[in-house]
Amino acid sequence: MNQQDLTTALNHLVDESTYNNYVTVANALDHFRSEARHMPLLRVAILRNFTLEPMIPVIKGEIALAGFYPEIYLGDYDTIAQDVLEPHSGLYKFQPDLVILAQWIDALCPVLTTRFLSLSPQQVNSEIEGILTTVSEFIWALRRHTNAPILVNNFPLPSYLTLGILDAQSESYQTHTILRLNLELLRRLHEIRDVSIVDYMSLMARIGSEQGLDERYWQIGRSPIGRNALVGFGKEYGKFFRALLGKARKCLVMDCDNILWGGIVGEDGMEGIQVGTIYPGSCYQSLQREILNLHDRGVILALCSKNNESDVLEVLRSHPHMLLHEEHFSTWQINWDDKATNLIRIAQELNIGLDSLVFVDDSQFECDLVRERLPQIAVLQFSSEPSTFRDRLSAQAYFDTLVFSAEDRKRNRMYRDQVKRKLLYESVGSLEEYLAKLEMIAEIGLADSMTVPRISQLIQKTNQFNLTTRRYSEGEIRAFAESPDVDIFYVKLRDRISEMGLIGVAITKYSGEYAEIDTFLLSCRAIGRGVEEALMAHVLNSARIRGSRVVVGRYFKTKKNVQVVDFYGHQGFRLVSEDTNSRDWELSLEGRIFSGPSWIKIKLIEPEEQICKSTRVNSNRY
Amino acid sequence: MQVNEGKLKQVLANVFGIDVSTIDETSSVDTVEEWDSLKHLNLVLALEEQFNITLNEEQTVQILSYPLIKVVLEEHGIAFS
Repeated sequence: MNQQDLTTALNHLVDESTYNNYVTVANALDHFRSEARHMPLLRVAILRNFTLEPMIPVIKGEIALAGFYPEIYLGDYDTIAQDVLEPHSGLYKFQPDLVILAQWIDALCPVLTTRFLSLSPQQVNSEIEGILTTVSEFIWALRRHTNAPILVNNFPLPSYLTLGILDAQSESYQTHTILRLNLELLRRLHEIRDVSIVDYMSLMARIGSEQGLDERYWQIGRSPIGRNALVGFGKEYGKFFRALLGKARKCLVMDCDNILWGGIVGEDGMEGIQVGTIYPGSCYQSLQREILNLHDRGVILALCSKNNESDVLEVLRSHPHMLLHEEHFSTWQINWDDKATNLIRIAQELNIGLDSLVFVDDSQFECDLVRERLPQIAVLQFSSEPSTFRDRLSAQAYFDTLVFSAEDRKRNRMYRDQVKRKLLYESVGSLEEYLAKLEMIAEIGLADSMTVPRISQLIQKTNQFNLTTRRYSEGEIRAFAESPDVDIFYVKLRDRISEMGLIGVAITKYSGEYAEIDTFLLSCRAIGRGVEEALMAHVLNSARIRGSRVVVGRYFKTKKNVQVVDFYGHQGFRLVSEDTNSRDWELSLEGRIFSGPSWIKIKLIEPEEQICKSTRVNSNRY
Repeated sequence: MQVNEGKLKQVLANVFGIDVSTIDETSSVDTVEEWDSLKHLNLVLALEEQFNITLNEEQTVQILSYPLIKVVLEEHGIAFS
């Protein structure tokens, strides 16, 4: 077993996600442990009250697909309480990066699922209260001992209800009782930071309990989830891994002919293509609605099509049944060049990595070409059965994240504005002249409860202009914001074309006469405008005011952040030490006042609702 | 029916994470160290997927050795020499 075997096994898994392919990957990972040093480790603790072992290979495979080496701590069968309550338990010794709490309702409270009618309404309520208390006590206990994000599941509806068809007729019967339990669970967990709910209920509904549950495994081995559902359950966790690890994709690039509409516009003409309210045109409308939905979620849309640009634009502008229009797309490459070249152009124009792209095309040739030349791009081939296109796109969950901010809703417009800025740049002589013309205003402030969600999103997602690439969770960021020895700075940028929102973050940790810049990052949208210098000047001045004499800056190399290897050098820092993967820099502050570039106007913002520094810690929170 | 023999050995090797060459007619719960009760469930899953069959309850608990697996698979019409 070697690295090649692991790569091969992972490729097979991408092609076909069968249970056996997951097992092969899991075995390869186990054999490959000692040589896997280049893969970052992800330590996942799983606590459960049912037999979850058959799902482990799928979970390992999903972690590997996200680019991490899985290290699993599996709590003993039904010993959750011991693990979470005892501070020196195996769980806490393991120091998990992520905790999965998996509880099956039939094991947690069998009477609710199998002998519902033996309970009076009061007893039903007290059973529900009992479950909620147990689960939230577990989560609070975990939160006291670890900052790791926690994934906890809600509960599926029973396959067969105790009152049969009568069950749906009253809210006090079984179905609505479990729905109420799930709703209450959400409310209880909402107040605990970094807890996400894995929606077993919807997942089981999608798979179907007749398909997904296997009574044989349950009776023989307390393993309720059947073969048909194991992969689905593991993949559902995989979506959370990707979202938490910052691996969600950002941009959907669509081909046009036979994807957005049926037929070929260059041959059939605008009148001849199929898109509308009746079959087969309705299938394309259905896919377009889903693409619009992604657009509203903040996914960047682009087109990549071999066509005459004018033909496609005419369809977008004036076809009466098109739901997608020109303004929904941030950019496009409509020409006769090969698609790999065009996809590279799209990524460059939007200033995002190729691994942020999902490409959809109907042609085997184009899909193979892109897979071969640009393996970082996720490729979906839709070559027949247009009625399945929408679900096939949704099923991949490429774009799922755990945050939805105001910036997301506006993202496509912001990227379109960026393309406009490029045009303005091309019309002006020098860069400085151009930057001055943009009339930029940078608003700089300290993190408050309004800005923490966006700050955490940037920390999770930013790859290129990121000096240390430390991925903190929202909870950890709140903890920093509350600490008296840490400052979290953000910068928002606007110019005469648009408002870009919050695009930069710096975290400084103070200790005696030293201030260390723990995190310094800038959204790729804002690179190259001097805003990083404005933010740095503010960070340095703040350190000086706090009495620091020396500022320490670090660079940790990743695959993506080469562009900032000498950032601290350009800012006047002195290189103290370096090895192949990192560089340490220092700057002496004494008697110096720092300022950013002349073309950016700075506005300092007072926090609206300052997160209380340690003097007044919210007692609910810990 | 060498093909099915090979497929079966591959499934066992995969599930237990052992080398395919170590599997023979003597392989069983008693001789394969990795073959514990939890791996047994994974074995059922893997066999069902690989051979596109569904074992009944009795068969699920019966398949405790390489020859017994073959007997059960033959009941599902999968031929071994």
